[in-house]
Amino acid sequence: MTLTPHDDLVLLVRDPIAADTLIHHVRQADDGAVVTFDGCVRNQSHGRKTLYLEYEAYESMALEKMKEIATSLHTLFAIDGVAIAHRLGRLEIGETSVFISVSAPHRKAAFEACRHAIDTLKKTVPIWKKEYFEDGAVWADGELPPVPAATPAAKPAS
Amino acid sequence: MQTRVLFFGKLKELVGAEQSVELRSGATIAELFERFANQKPELASFRSSVVASRNQEFAPWTTVLEPGDEVAFLPPVSGG
Repeated sequence: MTLTPHDDLVLLVRDPIAADTLIHHVRQADDGAVVTFDGCVRNQSHGRKTLYLEYEAYESMALEKMKEIATSLHTLFAIDGVAIAHRLGRLEIGETSVFISVSAPHRKAAFEACRHAIDTLKKTVPIWKKEYFEDGAVWADGELPPVPAATPAAKPAS
Repeated sequence: MQTRVLFFGKLKELVGAEQSVELRSGATIAELFERFANQKPELASFRSSVVASRNQEFAPWTTVLEPGDEVAFLPPVSGG
């Protein structure tokens, strides 16, 4: 469990995600809204029946990237608190793989920040899922994270 | 210099999770990947769909490595 300077909660877990803990963490007296995103394991992928999923992460970097997302939400949106949890290991159909809660004085900022958080997580946090089907398993298609441009001082690739 | 190298996802299945390699001073991330691709030619085909990180920050291929760096090769991410 990690707390950021804004007291945001960021965690990777191997047991089921305690959504109520994430909601209560962000909910304060001056908030008018808490928006949550519950990402869950679907029973099919491109028409193939999914049996279960396995998630793995570059854990130390994933936590850092999740913290960066939480911190950036405070500069981008008029929000109060953020909590982000991602689960690793084997997940069954219907289980929650990722849960995000965002609180704000007004709902618009909370909705926008929550949407931004999951969209950014899917592009930049080093987590991978493998989909298990009746006839085999594949690593899910993913997104290649943006990489900062090389600095002029860097040596060109040979 | 000693560099710790990590692989994830399908790359891990190909190369293994973690290795420690001896590199010349001033070596780049591109050279490091090349080293592994020479041992496992199949790895070379993933070059355009892999990003690298250095000490847990995404880093361009031209990044010059320092002793003790931790480099990871990351396939497209699919969390969520």
